[in-house]
Amino acid sequence: MKGRRTLLALAEVAAWWVPLAALWLVLISTVDPLELAVGAGASALTAFVARGARRAVSGR
Amino acid sequence: MNGWILAAVLVLVTGVGATLWGVAGGPLRRRATAQNLCTALACPVLLLLAQGYGRPAYVDLALVLAVLGPVGTLVFARLLADELADDPPHARGPTWTAAALGAAVVGAVAVATGPGRALVKLLVIGVLLVGGNLIASRALAGGMQEGRGD
Repeated sequence: MKGRRTLLALAEVAAWWVPLAALWLVLISTVDPLELAVGAGASALTAFVARGARRAVSGR
Repeated sequence: MNGWILAAVLVLVTGVGATLWGVAGGPLRRRATAQNLCTALACPVLLLLAQGYGRPAYVDLALVLAVLGPVGTLVFARLLADELADDPPHARGPTWTAAALGAAVVGAVAVATGPGRALVKLLVIGVLLVGGNLIASRALAGGMQEGRGD
């Protein structure tokens, strides 16, 4: 049961990560490996924040 | 000076000028509405100027304003909720005019930009600008009181 919840949480973070990384990719001026790395990291961090915010709003 | 800059100056003087006049005096509902419209009109001006000067990087200013403008209005709507509840602003005409102007400017700049990442960025700004200001103006009119916890 706990493994399933962890899996669901990871899936949600991944689901947040995809649009956030896409947004980063759209908003930067030049696409190079460093930008991609920073964007992937920032999106990962923000994906956790987004999940936290979603849980705070929905109360679950 | 080209057509883009001319259009920017026109919107800046008539639109933003009028909202500054509205912010400067009158009842609270007028001032709150005018400050909401001020950012809604300044953002298209920045888009037009970026296009007019041929500096796509300047579009970032419009992006920041499109995000922070409605957020600022939401803060005002929250802090002034009690005062606004007595005399809520219903500026449907100006709100939709500003939204239409924003959409028209984004559309024109999008056509000039052509397909690519810059176009997607522009459309993101457009959605934030129009959607954000419609939501902020609805919040000012007291349309979001159901969700308040207090």
